[in-house]
Amino acid sequence: MTDTVSTAGPARPVRARRRIPVRSPHQAAKANATRRMGGPLAGVPWALPALALVGVLLIYPFFRSIYGSFFEDNGFTSSFTGLDNYTRLADDPIFGRSLLNTFLWVAGTLVLPVAVGLAIAVATHRMRLGWLAQLVIVLPFAISGVATAALWRFILNTDGALNEVLRGVGLGSWAQGWLLEWPQNTLSMIVASTWQATGLNVVLFAIGLRAIPKETVEAAELDGARGWRMFRYITLPQLRAVTVVVIGMAIVNSLKAFDMVWALTQGGPSRSSETLALTMYREAFRLFHVGYGSAIALVLSVIVVASSWAYLRRQMPGAKD
Amino acid sequence: MGRHMRNLFVAGCVLLWLLPLYLLVVNSLTPADEYTGSVDWTPQGFAFFDNLESAWVDAGIGDSFGSSMLYAVVCGAVAVLVAAMAAFAVIVLPIPRPALWFWVIFSGTLFPLQIFLAPLFGMYADANLYDSRLGLMLVYAAWAVPFAFFLIRNQMTTMPPELTEAAMIDGASMRRIFWRIHVPLMRSGLGAAFIFQFTAVWNDLLFGITLSRSPEIQPVMATLNSLNQAYSSAGPPVVLAGALVVSLPTLLVFLVFRGLFLRGITASAR
Repeated sequence: MTDTVSTAGPARPVRARRRIPVRSPHQAAKANATRRMGGPLAGVPWALPALALVGVLLIYPFFRSIYGSFFEDNGFTSSFTGLDNYTRLADDPIFGRSLLNTFLWVAGTLVLPVAVGLAIAVATHRMRLGWLAQLVIVLPFAISGVATAALWRFILNTDGALNEVLRGVGLGSWAQGWLLEWPQNTLSMIVASTWQATGLNVVLFAIGLRAIPKETVEAAELDGARGWRMFRYITLPQLRAVTVVVIGMAIVNSLKAFDMVWALTQGGPSRSSETLALTMYREAFRLFHVGYGSAIALVLSVIVVASSWAYLRRQMPGAKD
Repeated sequence: MGRHMRNLFVAGCVLLWLLPLYLLVVNSLTPADEYTGSVDWTPQGFAFFDNLESAWVDAGIGDSFGSSMLYAVVCGAVAVLVAAMAAFAVIVLPIPRPALWFWVIFSGTLFPLQIFLAPLFGMYADANLYDSRLGLMLVYAAWAVPFAFFLIRNQMTTMPPELTEAAMIDGASMRRIFWRIHVPLMRSGLGAAFIFQFTAVWNDLLFGITLSRSPEIQPVMATLNSLNQAYSSAGPPVVLAGALVVSLPTLLVFLVFRGLFLRGITASAR
């Protein structure tokens, strides 16, 4: 809080000072040009196709979904039930498990793809052949969730590659049905998505690392900083901006986890590995609890937007000045 | 010491990342009827094309490969064009409340797909768009617009307004300015947006399984998912060969246009 108060004051004059010489000729020209461009509404027809597509196929369904979440709806008949769907959520054990799994996905994604991605980016930074290592690690990012799931089913199956490796190295007692019990099934799928998603974070962190001015590193070296201290007090603070983006994207993506879970376990066994995204799909399209599914979708949307707010703010027009 | 640890760590990670890919390739080579039920660690024969044929013909990956190629190319291109026009309207042309337009169009990418699904299904059933190519293409195009718009708009803000002014003084119409100045100058940005949306549509599963049902309409990831659910009856080598072949387009695009591909995703980090 104090942070925002203290920065809000000085930020404005700086912005204004920088903008005046840049914007004013453009603005003046624009005021003059509006007429020649075809009046103040000239842009509207150009933006209409986008508005029509997004408005009809995304924005209208969005509001219709919120409206529908107040109805008991099995796809054929529907009746208004007020907040019933939401109160039902509170004592639905499947929803509770699904919520827990979703938070496991978020926590697991922050621990694995983000932390591992940072470690790999730092380790390969300015390394000979580091680009090649980065390329290998980012390669699975081009593969879809379903294809990744097909491959990892092969690894995680009871007679799959992982159990075979464990038996081979004498850890046969660790071999188990990785996808058959909670919480192993959720955790193994998080590992599988780590394989797929880490590369993106490596690339993002690598961009951040390249942007760090050499002078700060050299100055710290002169002061005797090495290894961990260098990383903790010099590198990490200067990665702040990119870290916000990486964490924001990681949280959003993990909250939306669907493809891999659906393709690997379909949320099973007995709905134990469902995430919110999957519970919504199952309730609405398999069990025909359309209103209840819409309520779950709204809960998920609120969580997604709320937890990525810091990241979204950066994307606002003008926020990056 | 520190240096050796670092090299060891990187080498270990690279090996860990390559191992699943190695298993994918090796086991998709095993003849499906000779597959013993346990993992092959070395190539056992070369039946990749037989496995591929099973996946391509019997499991219907081939048909849906074609459908998905159509969806991804057409919807990616339409979305980029529509998004570029909207960006042009918001950045270059006079329009009331440009920030509001930005947020309305961009908002489509903020929410999880689940919030759109149930009403879309109802609308599609009413409009006879359920299980039709047109229906899937409409929703893919709409879904691809917001983020393409975000990418293109960001790049368009970096173009000097003097370009437009000079062209206007020369008497060019706005349509001409868009096609002859903005589109050619933003080639790489438009390319990045197209590649990003091509990949997104190609990899989509959720719209595919929600809004279509028949094999000749369903996109390729939905078909691969059906094949994957029939894992033991189809035989793992066939599933893996299918997974490999549906990954090829995006892998190729990634390897050929790596710079553009990553630019799409990393644009929001700068």
